[in-house]
Amino acid sequence: MRWRQLLVCFWLVLCGPVLAHKASDSYLVIDVQGAQVSGQWDIALRDIDFALGLDTDGNGEITWGELRARHDAVAAWAFNALTLERGGACPLQVTQHQVDEHTDGTYAVLKFIATCPTSTGDVALDYRLLFDLDGLHRGLLRLDIDGLTHSSVIAPDSRRQTFSGERVSRWTQLQQFMEQGVWHIWIGFDHILFLLSLLLPVVLVRVNGGWRGVDRMGESVREVLWVVTSFTVAHSITLSLAALGFISLPSWLVESAIALSVVVAAFNNIVPMFNRLRWLVAFGFGLIHGFGFASVLAELGLPQDALVLSLVGFNLGVEAGQLAIVVALLPVIYWLRNTAFYRRGVLVGGSLLIMLLASVWLAERLFDLKLITT
Amino acid sequence: MANTKIGVEEMYCNPQPLLWRNLLPQCGGFCVLMGLLLALNVQAAPRTPASDTEVLEKLPTRAGDNTARELSSLRAALVQAPTDEAKATELATRYFDLAMARGDPRYIGYADAVVQRFPATRSAPLLTLRGMLRQYRHDFAGALGDFDAALKQNPSHADAYAWRGAIFLVKADYAAAQQACDGLQRLERDVLAGGCLGLTQAYGGQLDAGYQTLQKTLDQAGFPDNQLWLLTRLGEVAAWRGQPAQAEAHYRAALALGRDDVYLLAAWADFLLDAGQPAEVVKWLQPWESADGLLLRLAEAETALKLPDAARHRQMLADRFAAARARGDTTHRAEEARFELRLRQDAKTAVRLAAENYAVQREPRDARILLEAAIAAQDNASAQPARDWLRSSGFEDARTRRLGQASGDSAKTGSTR
Repeated sequence: MRWRQLLVCFWLVLCGPVLAHKASDSYLVIDVQGAQVSGQWDIALRDIDFALGLDTDGNGEITWGELRARHDAVAAWAFNALTLERGGACPLQVTQHQVDEHTDGTYAVLKFIATCPTSTGDVALDYRLLFDLDGLHRGLLRLDIDGLTHSSVIAPDSRRQTFSGERVSRWTQLQQFMEQGVWHIWIGFDHILFLLSLLLPVVLVRVNGGWRGVDRMGESVREVLWVVTSFTVAHSITLSLAALGFISLPSWLVESAIALSVVVAAFNNIVPMFNRLRWLVAFGFGLIHGFGFASVLAELGLPQDALVLSLVGFNLGVEAGQLAIVVALLPVIYWLRNTAFYRRGVLVGGSLLIMLLASVWLAERLFDLKLITT
Repeated sequence: MANTKIGVEEMYCNPQPLLWRNLLPQCGGFCVLMGLLLALNVQAAPRTPASDTEVLEKLPTRAGDNTARELSSLRAALVQAPTDEAKATELATRYFDLAMARGDPRYIGYADAVVQRFPATRSAPLLTLRGMLRQYRHDFAGALGDFDAALKQNPSHADAYAWRGAIFLVKADYAAAQQACDGLQRLERDVLAGGCLGLTQAYGGQLDAGYQTLQKTLDQAGFPDNQLWLLTRLGEVAAWRGQPAQAEAHYRAALALGRDDVYLLAAWADFLLDAGQPAEVVKWLQPWESADGLLLRLAEAETALKLPDAARHRQMLADRFAAARARGDTTHRAEEARFELRLRQDAKTAVRLAAENYAVQREPRDARILLEAAIAAQDNASAQPARDWLRSSGFEDARTRRLGQASGDSAKTGSTR
C-alpha cells in the first residue's frame, strides 16, 4: 500500500485543491459577419507540448524557434479539433501565428479566417480540443454573430453548441431601446421628481412676491416647452458624449449631482430664485442627468454595430416617456392652479417633500449610506 | 463533469477592476460583456517574438528527467494495452500524485481523461481514483458514490475508507466520519485510522482527545510523509487548544523534515499571521508565489508590513481568481473570500463567497472565514450555519467561539438566537 500517497491525499481533501498554476483553458474569440469569419485562438504552450511535444531538444524549455518549426502541425492539430458551421462547414484557415501571455504562462495565438456556405442562419460550433487528454480542459468562447455577442464555456459534455444567428432587425432594435428609454424615465424617480419640480410652477406666475394662476393654457404650454426642450437638449448632449465614450464621470458624482439637482429645483418652488429662468436650470442639470441615462444605456450593452441607432432609440424613448408625464400632468395642474390646495399643498408642500427625499438621496450617494434605498 | 458547468452570467459576474464594480451595482448584460472582455482580451496583445532563441515557456519536466521518463513509459504501456485498467490506474495515479506534489491542476485533468476512458469500471482502485478526482472538483456526492462502489467490489480497500472519512470531515458529518475511521481500524490500518479519528475528535469538540490520538499515531508512524502530515495537524490542534509554543514546536519539527509541502506551509503561515509575525511569513513564503494559497498568505503578510511587493502580489491574486472564475471554477471560494476580506476590504463580497463555500466545505477554517467576513459586513444572518456548527460540534477553539459570539452580537436582527 502507498501510505504516503494516501496521507498526502488526506490533506488534499482537507485543504481543498491547491491553487497553484491553473487548469487548462483555451481562449477562443470568433467573429462571424455573414459568411465571413475571423478569429483568434489562444492555446497554452504547455498543452500543445503535452499533446504534440514541442520541446525538441528536451531541455525543458520551449523556444520560439521550436514552436515556429511546428506551426503547421499545431494548426492542423487545433483546427482538426474545431468545427464551425453556418449552412455547412466553414473551413478554418490560419493566417498568422503569434504568442501571448496569460496568467499561467505563454500561449500560442492562432489567427484564422474562414468562409461559410451561407451568410445567415444559426452558427454551430463543435469543440474537441484536448478533451481526450485533459478532462478538466475548457474552451472559453466569445462568439460574435452579425454584431451580437454570445459567450460560453465549452466542456467535454457540451462540446457541440448552436448559437442563434437570427438577425435582429434595425427596427426591432430601435424599438427595444425606445422601450428601455420610456421605462427608465418612468422608473427613474429622480428624473421624474426633477421634471416635476420644474413643471409644478408653470401654471402659475409670480406677481408681487406671490403666485397667481396663469390666464391661458398657452402660457403654461410655452413654459413647459422651454423647460422640457432645454432638459432634452442638454441630456441628449451628455448622453451621446458619454455613450460614445468621449467623457466619463465617476458614478457617485453623477448620482449625487442628480440628487442635488432635485433638491435645487424643489427649493426653487419654495423660495423662488430662478423664476422665468427655469429653462436654464433644466438645461444645466439636464447635462448631469444625461450622464445618468448613459450609465443605464451602458448596462444594457450597446451593440457596437448599431451605436447611433440605439442611442437615438433610447433618447426618443426618454422623450416619449417625458412627454407622457407632461401630457398627463399639465391639464390637472392647470385645472387646480387657482386653488390654495395647489399653491400651498402641492407646490410648497410637495416641493418640501421632494426636497426632503432628494436630500436623503444626496446624503446616501455622497457618503455611500443606505438610509431609505434598499 | 456536469458539476463544473455553470451559467455564463454567474461566471462573469463581478469582474475584478474596481471601476466596474462601482459603476455596476448589478450584473447585467453589460457586466457579462465586460467580464468576457476581461477574460479574453485583458492581455490581448499578441506578439511575434523577435528571436528563435527566445524562451517562451519553461516546462514542469525536462524530457530526460525521471518523472518525464516514467510518465512516458506509463503512457506507452497504456497505448500498448488500451483496455488494461491496472495500467490506466497506474498512470492516472501517477498524474494525481504529481498534481499533489506540485499543486498543478493540469495533472488532475490528465488523470481525469485517463479514468474517463473506463466509465463502466468495476475495479476498486480505479473507482477510488475516480472518486478522488471528483472530490477535487468538490463533487462530494459523486465521490462518495465511487468510494461506496469501490468498497462493494473490495471491502478491504482502505483508501476508499480513508477518503470517505476525509469527505465527511469536510462536510462536518462526524458520525459518518467516525464510521469510516472504524472501517480503517477494522482493517488494522493504524496510522490512517489514528489520523482519521484524531481529526474527527478535534473537529467534533474533543480537542484534548484528538491531540492525544494524533500524538499516539505520530509515535507509530514510520514514514516521514506520514510524520509531516501528523505534525502539521498536531500544530493546528495545539494552536486551537491555546498552546502556541507547542504548536510552533510541531510545525518546526514538520518543517525540519525538509520536504516541500504546500499544506504545511499554509498552516504554518496562518499560525504566524495569527501570532502577529508577518515578517516570518515573508521569509518562508517568498519562493512560493506560484502556489495561490501560499501567495495569498504572502500577500497578507506583505500588506501588514507595507512592503513594496504587496500590491503586485495582490494584483496577481486578483488575476488568478478572475481566470478561475472565467472557466467556471468555484473551488477557490474560501481563499477568495479571505482575499476580499483581508486584502480588498470588501466584506460584502467576502461574506457572499464564504457563505457559498460554507455550503460545500465546513471545516474549522471555512467557519472562521465566514464568521470573520460576516462580522466585518455586519451580516450576522449569513454566519448562522457556522454558529449552528459551533453549537452542534462543540468545537473548542477559543478564537472561533469568540468569533461565533461576536457575529451573533454584531446585529440583533436576522437571528433567532
